[in-house]
Amino acid sequence: MTPLKGSRFRPTRQHALVLGLLTGLSLTGCSSWNLPNVLYLSLSTNSDQTIDATLLQDYREKLSILNGGYRQIHPSTYFQFSLYPEERIIQAMQRRTGAGLGPDVLFVNGETAKRLVAQRLADPFPINAALAQQLNPEDLQRMRITNGALAGLPILIQTQVACFNRKHLSQAPTTLQALLSASAKGHRIGLSIELTSLFWSAGSMGAVDAVQQLESGQTVKPDAKNSLTNWLSWLQNANHQQRVTFYANQSAALNEFRAGHLDWIPCSSVSLPSLRKTLGESLGVASLPSGPGGMASPINRLRVFALGRSSSQAGRERALAFSRFAVNPLVQHNLTVGAQTVLPANRFVKVPTQSSGTLKALSASKSSGQRSAAVSDLLHQDDPRIISAQSIISSLVFGEVSPNKAANDLIHLFQKER
Amino acid sequence: MRELLLECQGWLAYLERPSVLIQLLLAIIPVAVSRRARQRRLIKHWPAEAYPFLGIILLTLAVLGLASVGHSFGLTLLLGLFWLGWFSLHLLHRLLLIWLPEEPTHQLESRLLRPAFLVAASIILVSEVDSIQDLAVAPLGELFGISINAGKLFEALVVIYLVLVGCGPPAAGLAWIAQRALGLRDGSRKAMELILRYTVVGIGLVIVAVQLGLNTNALIAVAGGLSVGLGFGIKEVFSNFVSGLWLLFEGSVRPGEVLLLDGDPCEVRRLGLRATLLWRDRDNAELLVPNQTFFTEATTTFTASDRMRRSQVSVGAAYHHNPSDVIALLENTALSVSRVLPHPAPKALLVNYGDSAINYALRFWIANPLDNSSISSEVSQAIWHAFKQQDIEIPFPQQVEYSMVWPPEKHQSNNGRT
Repeated sequence: MTPLKGSRFRPTRQHALVLGLLTGLSLTGCSSWNLPNVLYLSLSTNSDQTIDATLLQDYREKLSILNGGYRQIHPSTYFQFSLYPEERIIQAMQRRTGAGLGPDVLFVNGETAKRLVAQRLADPFPINAALAQQLNPEDLQRMRITNGALAGLPILIQTQVACFNRKHLSQAPTTLQALLSASAKGHRIGLSIELTSLFWSAGSMGAVDAVQQLESGQTVKPDAKNSLTNWLSWLQNANHQQRVTFYANQSAALNEFRAGHLDWIPCSSVSLPSLRKTLGESLGVASLPSGPGGMASPINRLRVFALGRSSSQAGRERALAFSRFAVNPLVQHNLTVGAQTVLPANRFVKVPTQSSGTLKALSASKSSGQRSAAVSDLLHQDDPRIISAQSIISSLVFGEVSPNKAANDLIHLFQKER
Repeated sequence: MRELLLECQGWLAYLERPSVLIQLLLAIIPVAVSRRARQRRLIKHWPAEAYPFLGIILLTLAVLGLASVGHSFGLTLLLGLFWLGWFSLHLLHRLLLIWLPEEPTHQLESRLLRPAFLVAASIILVSEVDSIQDLAVAPLGELFGISINAGKLFEALVVIYLVLVGCGPPAAGLAWIAQRALGLRDGSRKAMELILRYTVVGIGLVIVAVQLGLNTNALIAVAGGLSVGLGFGIKEVFSNFVSGLWLLFEGSVRPGEVLLLDGDPCEVRRLGLRATLLWRDRDNAELLVPNQTFFTEATTTFTASDRMRRSQVSVGAAYHHNPSDVIALLENTALSVSRVLPHPAPKALLVNYGDSAINYALRFWIANPLDNSSISSEVSQAIWHAFKQQDIEIPFPQQVEYSMVWPPEKHQSNNGRT
C-alpha cells in the first residue's frame, strides 16, 4: 500500500512494530483467551538446602503430586515454579511484587508468610469455616497475625529428626547419654552450630522455657538460667568428645553424612530424599534423643501457602482453588505417604505410623516439637539476634567462653535487642 | 531444554495481568513520543541529542504517577532505566572518542559494552519474573556423560566470548613490551601478538572445558570426533588454521610483510584463523587469501630477510651512441632520484641489440617494495630528461607501407615507381 500523495504519514517499520505491539497488548488485555493459564508458584528452600539440579528435580517430583492431581481437574492450568533460598525470598518478592510480577502463590515457612504479609508482599488468606475446620486450630493460631487474619494456609509440616547410617550404627541413640556413649565407642556424631539445628538439645536439657523467657523479654528466673547453663555445658562437653564434630552450618554436616564420614546427625525431614538417593537402605531415621530435661525440642516448620499480591483476578482464583485442593485429605495423604518427608496439615489425615518407621519418627518429632513452636515462630533465619546468638554458641562450643558466661551473654543479647 | 523453553513460554502469561500491561504501555509511550518528537523536531532549538531527555522526563512522570496511586511501577522503572542505560552508551561513545581512535572505540562498544549491557539487562529482567538461581541449574542435557545446565552453559559462553573479544588488547600490550625489550621488528611483534591471542584462547577453552567438568576421556572423545569431522566436513578450515599457525611460526607471512601476488606487491595486513588479509596498493583492494595458499604454493616475498627491493626499468638508445656513455648516464640518472638507494649502487646493463635500438636495463634498489611502481616511473622520467639533455635518441621502430600488385610479376619496387 502506498501512502496518499501529500499525506504526511509515512508508514515505517517502527510504526508497524509499535502498532502491532499496542494491538497485541490491548487484545491480551481485553481477552486472555490466547494466553496460557499459568499459576506462578514461588518456594523457599531451607538454609541446609543448596539449590542445584538434584534439589530442583526433588521439588519437581514432590510438586508433581500436587500439580498432577490439580491438572486432572483443571487441565488447562500450567504451573511455573521458582525456588529461592529462605533468607532471600523476602528481598526477591519485594522486587517482583514492586514490578507487578510476583507469584500467585508462595510456598514458604509459616513465619516467613507472616513477614510477607506484614511487609505487604502477600495478602492474608481468606479462609472459610469449612476449610478451617480441616486444619489444626493450633496451626491456624500460629498463622494468625495481629489483626486476626491468616498469613498463610497450612499445608505441610516439616520436622527435624535424627538420621543415622545403619551400616555403622545399628540403632539410633534415644538419649543424650547414649549419644555420647556411642561417640565414645567410635561412632562419629555431627552437629551444627546453627541455632535452629541445635535447638532440639535445649528440650532434652530442659532449657526450652529459659529460651522462651529470653525471647519474650521476660526476666530469666534463676532456675531457667541454670537450665540454660546446663544446656550450654552439655554443648561444650559434647565438643570435647573426640568423635563429636560441630560444623559451621547444617549443609556441611549433611554433606559429611552423605559422604559416609558421619554416623549420626540431626536432619530436616526435607533432606531425606537426597539422603535416600545417596545412602539407600543404609539410611535410618529416628526421633531425636531425649535427656534429663525431657523430650527433644526440634524446630518443626509449618509450610504454608501465602497469596501473592500481583495476581490478576483469574490468577487469584486459580491460587485459591489450588490452595483448597492442596489441603484435600486425599492429596494430603498422598503427599505424606508418597514422599515420607512431611506430615499433613489436614487433621483428618491419619499418618500410617505402624507401617513406616520414618513416618513414626516424623510424628514423634511433631509431637515433641510443639514445645518449641513458640520459639520458632519468634525467630526467623535472618533475625540479627540469631546471628549474634550463633556467634556466642560458637565461642562456647570451641571453649572460648564458659557456659555461665555464654548464658549471661545470651541473656544480655536478647534483653538488649528487645 | 524443553523445560527451560516451557519456562520461558510461561512468562508470557504475565501479560494477563492488567498492572503489567499498564506498566509496559507507560514504558513504551514515552520512548515512542520522544522518538517521534525527535523525528519531527517538535521542539524548536532542541538538538536531536536532547530529545531522549524528553522521554526521561515523561518516564519519570509515569513512574511518579503510578507510585502516587499505589500502583506497581517497578517494571516501568526498570525498562526506563534500561532505556536510559542504552542512551548513556551513546554519550559514552562520544567520551571515549576523546581518548581513543574511532576504530577501537567502535570495537569496544560493539563487542563489549553493548553486548554486556544487553546480557545484564536480560538477566535483571528474567530475575523479575523468575528465580535466576533455579533457572541456572535447569538441566539442558548431557555432554560426554557430564550434565550441562543453563548456568554452566551461560558461564562457558560468556567466558569464551570474553576470551575471544578481550584477549586482543592484553596480547597487543605484551607484544609491544616484548618488542621494546627484545628489539623485535613490527612484523615479529604482530606475529607474537597473534600467537599470544591464540594461546590465551586455547587456555580459555581448556579452562571452560574443565569448568564444565569434561574429563580427559571426554576431551579425547572430542578430539576423536573432531578428527572424523576434519576428515569430512571441515578439512579446509582446519588446514587453513594450521597453515596460518605454521606461517606465523615460520615468519614468512606475517603482518607487515610484502608479497608478490599475481604480479602486484601486496602488504600482509592480518593473518586470520582461516585467511590472510592482503592490501594491494595499485587499487587499494583488500584480498582475502586462504592461508593454505601460502603454505602449499611458492610465494615471492620482498621482506623475508630485508625490506629492500631491486627494481628495473628498460630503455633503448640509438645505435650510434656509445654504450659506455649511455650506461654511465643511466647509472648517474638513477642516483639523482631521491628514493633510489645509493647503496647498493644502481647498475645499468646492455641487454641486447634490438631491431631499432640497443636495449639497456637499469637496475636499482629501493627501500620500500610497495613503492616500486612510483619510483620506477620517476626513474623513467629522469632518463627521458637526461637523454634529451645529452641528445641521446630513444629510437622507435619505423614501418613503411606500400601496396602489392597482383600478379607479383607486375609488381615494381618503390624505386621503380618513383
